[in-house]
Amino acid sequence: MSTQPTALKGSVKERAQLALNNDFLRKAVRFTTERLRSGKLKAAEEHGNWDEWRERGRQIRLHTIAHLDYYLGEFANNARENGVHVHFADTAQDAINIAIKIAAAKNAKSAVKSKSMVTEEIHLNHELQAIDCEAIETDLGEYIIQLANETPSHIIIPAIHKNRFQIAELLSKDAGEELPPETSVLAGYVRKKLREKFLQADIGVTGCNFAIAETGSMVLFENEGNARMVSTVPKTQITFMGMERIIPSWTDLEVMATLLPRSATGQKLTVYMSGITGPKRTTDGDGPEEMHIIILDNGRSLQLGDPEFQELLNCIRCGACLNACPVYRHIGGHAYGGTYSGPIGAVLTPALKKNVAEWDDIANASSLCGACYEACPVKIPLHDMLVSLRRRKVEAGRDDPMERMGMKGFGGVMGNAKVYHNALKLGKIGQKVLVRDGGIRAKIGPLKGWNAYRVAPSISKKLFRERYNSLKTELGGTTKLDPAIAARLEQWRSKQDGGASH
Amino acid sequence: MSNNNDQWLKELDEQAKAKQEQFLNGIASKLKRSRVTEKPQRPFRGAPDFWGQFQLNVDEKLDMFKRNFEAAGGYVLRAATLQEASSIIVEKANELQAKYILRQDVAELERLGLEQALSSISVRSWNDDEQEDWKARAAEADIGVVLADYAVAYTGSLTLLSSKSKGRSVSLLPTLLVAIIPKSSVVTKLGEVLSTFDEMGRENLPAGIHFVSGPSRSADIENDLTIGVHGPGIVYAVIVDDIES
Repeated sequence: MSTQPTALKGSVKERAQLALNNDFLRKAVRFTTERLRSGKLKAAEEHGNWDEWRERGRQIRLHTIAHLDYYLGEFANNARENGVHVHFADTAQDAINIAIKIAAAKNAKSAVKSKSMVTEEIHLNHELQAIDCEAIETDLGEYIIQLANETPSHIIIPAIHKNRFQIAELLSKDAGEELPPETSVLAGYVRKKLREKFLQADIGVTGCNFAIAETGSMVLFENEGNARMVSTVPKTQITFMGMERIIPSWTDLEVMATLLPRSATGQKLTVYMSGITGPKRTTDGDGPEEMHIIILDNGRSLQLGDPEFQELLNCIRCGACLNACPVYRHIGGHAYGGTYSGPIGAVLTPALKKNVAEWDDIANASSLCGACYEACPVKIPLHDMLVSLRRRKVEAGRDDPMERMGMKGFGGVMGNAKVYHNALKLGKIGQKVLVRDGGIRAKIGPLKGWNAYRVAPSISKKLFRERYNSLKTELGGTTKLDPAIAARLEQWRSKQDGGASH
Repeated sequence: MSNNNDQWLKELDEQAKAKQEQFLNGIASKLKRSRVTEKPQRPFRGAPDFWGQFQLNVDEKLDMFKRNFEAAGGYVLRAATLQEASSIIVEKANELQAKYILRQDVAELERLGLEQALSSISVRSWNDDEQEDWKARAAEADIGVVLADYAVAYTGSLTLLSSKSKGRSVSLLPTLLVAIIPKSSVVTKLGEVLSTFDEMGRENLPAGIHFVSGPSRSADIENDLTIGVHGPGIVYAVIVDDIES
């Protein structure tokens, strides 16, 4: 029962092809993302002044990341004062080593886990299994995909790709008896089964939504109550935290608590929001006796000081960009091939892995429409980052040689007005054999990909360039950019510093 | 064994402290500057300024709390006195044939007199006996009764602070949760509660601070809403007008 990563097979295109063929997946993903997205829009509107809240959220995140060494240090020292054992891990392997050392010292036979993307990132379950410590996912959706030996396909609803019949089959096998495909029965079975696991477990493993620097507290958002179980019942708690999860104070948490649940599910607040400050006090009757927090870098620091990507660290993992993304809604989370999917995954995965060749094609899984930016509660310009990733790929010479030749030819034609005009005139004549009903359908040459699902427009009979002179007379000869627009453009450009200041 | 463990933890901590310096220096150098050691200046803190003006009167707060808590699937009841709140709980316990009730060990809840009113079933108070296995008592309880430290109208949330006599399990493991809310502890916004934690400061914070906004829920199976997945499936918030009477 490990959540071994499904090996990365083929390119994003091939993985997406699989998803496009899977009718249920596409329907389920579209239905769920639509529900979450409209919930979010409704919640944002009802709350009011959404853009002011987004801007404040962005400011808090920018400020914290710009002073991350200070706030992280403050958090670690305060948490230590609270009695927490704080650890720092540069890599996934470092984090695993620390966790395994703790589990081995406790002679742990089982660990119950609440949802944590960081532990998915480092493949913790597999490593615990290796020292005979059973790792049990306790979030309902995570438990289901653990039984299926798969990885989450959505950051908020991990089992979005499974229907109730598939789930009933998995849980029936787990139960050793036939369970009907009814949600309440299936959830009831998991409740009972996991109750025993919570009470027996030696270790509770959690993620961390926010860490509060000034008091050394950690905050968890959830709806089921499993994160509370995991952080209340077992004797030892191990929390995994991405090093960028920090906010300065509880007062700042109001902004995050306003943005996160509304953006994720449209809720005013998740059913449970828990702030945990150290292990149980001596006289307390419950809570962990020993508490560890493992702070992980694993590629995050590569974004620091990079004006194009530093804002990536502002992400609060709400999933709103997935729900808004037209590409995600078609291909689902697994097509992205990494721990994080959707627009954030398309940028974060190559960023964390320093854009290793394997991830090159993931930046192309976007139409650059900017819906992700519009949805983002902390205004991360994900679509700009995708363009930067593509540019870096080309600069590093990892583009397709055919494409490069094509672009060079395209540049040659577009760069010279005379050549361009002649090419158009030539095309006007040449296209005659291909045009049907005003469009080109033939899947040939550079039109192959486009025409697979669409019809390319033909070149107009009367070219714009041929009409330009008469149009100019009509407009009264104004061809200069309005100075007010030019000034706004310049102002916008100068503001793009990627959060290096603050 | 315990000594061994302490020794081992001490070694881990020493390693971590050395690592911390290296880790934080690495961050500073990536940010292309020296380490920041003074608290950074901030032009802002918390919610946008206009949010400070938003304030409801008592009736509006109670209304909004009720609306939000019920929209999340909880129940909100009003009681003039603790005696009235007590009868509500007794009635629920009888109706559901509860066998085990667990309450926090606080004076207000003692004054509910559940032990006397429900003398035929087990009513226990959290952590009043060190020998008892309290997590097991919470796990078997049909009803958990807690006193809320605050309630937030705008999000429809209860706030529960842990202590020796206020176990976290009491609001988590029982099937049904009853939270007694003194009318005076209902506030408008989340920030009003959160800022008190900044004021209390690190040394005075409890180990567990829990905001509860309705029954445990999940939509993980085909988006079908399921109530009571891990935490209590039924949650009653009983607002008591006069907690002293």
